[in-house]
Amino acid sequence: MTAGPTRAWTSLLARYGLAVASVAGALACGLLAQSQGLHNVEFPPFLIAVSATVWYAGPGSGILAVGLAILSYDYFFLEPRYTLYIHPSDRPLFVVFIAFVGMIAWFSSRRRRIEQALRQARDELERDVAVRTQQASLLDLTHDTIFVRDMNDVITYWNRGAEELYGWTAAQAIGQRSPELLRTVFPLPIDEIRAELLRTDRWEGELDRTKAGGTVVAVASRWSLRRDEQARPVAILETNNDITERRRREQEIQRLNSDLAKRTTELQGTNKELEAFAYSISHDLRAPLRHMVGYTELLQKHAAALLDDKNRRYLRLILEAAKRMGTLIDDLLAFSRIGRVETRTSAVSLDALVKEALHELRPETEGRRLAWTVAKLPDVYGDRSMLKLALVNLMSNAVKFTRTRPDAEVEIGRADGGDDETVVFVRDNGVGFDMQYADKLFGVFQRLHPTGEFEGTGIGLATVQRIIHRHGGRVWADGVVDRGATFYFSLPRSWWEPKS
Amino acid sequence: MTELGRILMVEDDPNDVELTLTALAEYNLANEVVVTRDGAEALDYLYCRGSFATRTSENPAVLLLDLKLPKVDGLQVLQQIKSDEKLRMIPVVVLTSSHEEKDMVASYRLGVNAYVVKPVDFHEFVNAIKELGIFWAVINQPPPGSVPKRDLT
Repeated sequence: MTAGPTRAWTSLLARYGLAVASVAGALACGLLAQSQGLHNVEFPPFLIAVSATVWYAGPGSGILAVGLAILSYDYFFLEPRYTLYIHPSDRPLFVVFIAFVGMIAWFSSRRRRIEQALRQARDELERDVAVRTQQASLLDLTHDTIFVRDMNDVITYWNRGAEELYGWTAAQAIGQRSPELLRTVFPLPIDEIRAELLRTDRWEGELDRTKAGGTVVAVASRWSLRRDEQARPVAILETNNDITERRRREQEIQRLNSDLAKRTTELQGTNKELEAFAYSISHDLRAPLRHMVGYTELLQKHAAALLDDKNRRYLRLILEAAKRMGTLIDDLLAFSRIGRVETRTSAVSLDALVKEALHELRPETEGRRLAWTVAKLPDVYGDRSMLKLALVNLMSNAVKFTRTRPDAEVEIGRADGGDDETVVFVRDNGVGFDMQYADKLFGVFQRLHPTGEFEGTGIGLATVQRIIHRHGGRVWADGVVDRGATFYFSLPRSWWEPKS
Repeated sequence: MTELGRILMVEDDPNDVELTLTALAEYNLANEVVVTRDGAEALDYLYCRGSFATRTSENPAVLLLDLKLPKVDGLQVLQQIKSDEKLRMIPVVVLTSSHEEKDMVASYRLGVNAYVVKPVDFHEFVNAIKELGIFWAVINQPPPGSVPKRDLT
């Protein structure tokens, strides 16, 4: 705060001091000349002193110097001496003196103005250079590849990103022609690219180039054309991105896609074969079975009188076996259909499905003491008929395996499935199973009880598993021999939750 | 007085033919049954050509049609009948082993009058044949141009 005013005062003092000192010097010279007997040489020293003051110290101290010079010259050297009287004949001298000083002052101020303008221009130039230097070094900082070439493709600028990508240093690259240095492979004839560049001032495309080390690199390249004031093209700025990895991934995806398409066709073929197979089972396997049963029954009817009990029993066993095979074929067909038929998804109320299943199971539960406990169940998204089949199978299993219980209990409820799943269980107090065989429960034709004890084909739980798997869920079971079993199935929540 | 219309059965399996005829015979419905062994023969009968060129031109009261047949299959026969102005009025009952939904859908789409899956159990089979025979050959009034009903004696 004090430095500014102090310097101003010092400068003021110096300027006015210069005025006083230079006039005093001129006076001393005049007096010295006079004492040596030299006359009429007193005026020039004053002129020089005042001019010097005006030139170096500005108009303020110049005015002071002029005043002091006139007073000293008039007092010491003009007749009558030692008075401040000015003889009228001397007045033109003072007028000339003042005019001369004025002229000097004018020159001085012009010089200052020019000097100042020059200084300003220099400062601006310096700032400009600093900014441009900084910008150029920023371009060098980026890892993106940027280089400039003239209209003959000779490289004139090469940034650090270009060095990193292509392996050539700026010193090696600048002055070389880029198509030769980088062994560029263009996607189109170069004339077409040039034509587009000149028409639109830009071009974008993918190029193959070779690095200093010899490896080929794929780049996405963007060109911008620079023109001079007369709109003549002078240079091309090119930025590059390495897309080798991206292109490799694209090719990989393409390969995987075609593999997938092939696999899909194969699967479709297999599916068709399976369908034909199932159709043939449905039709051709059932027909001979029907004939066996038909003729056996006819035999039973016509020959019953001729046969003894043993032979009648044989006929009965043939019939039972054939009918059992019929049931097996039907169940197996239903099971295979789950895999082949397309699911038709919609919002499904599990409550309604349980109600329908209970109705269907009524013939099996008639005359039995069986208590159902059914909790409120959620709505899910899925194939209604398939989910119903799963529920009917689980519930009829519970009915079947509680048959030996005087007071059978079956509970249907909802278990905690976290945020991701809806879990439903069917629990009974029936004969249960040994957890050791839990993994066999859901296999086709797997049975944990002899046919004589509990009838069945061993396809029911496999069907349940297949249905739930097709819905993206899981099935599992808990059980203790003679203490009942619990069967769980889950459905992924995100899959059925209504979209808002 | 009960009258019986003519039944045309199209069935390639001799066992099925025999069992069906036995079932119909139990209820005295077998007299007016004509059996053809494949789709081509069935069409020959309906159009009175080939070995049936000399028969009278009336239509049967009902057609019992198997789906899986040699030469011309059941669905093709059905399509031919339902697209022919003179034959389309014949009631057609598909009698098949096939449980396949697509067969059922295809049959109904072509305008079948009934679709029956042959049960494995012989009792059920006999019952189904009996009811079919009684309904279509006795109870149902066949469309004009059918073989006149005969006395059931």
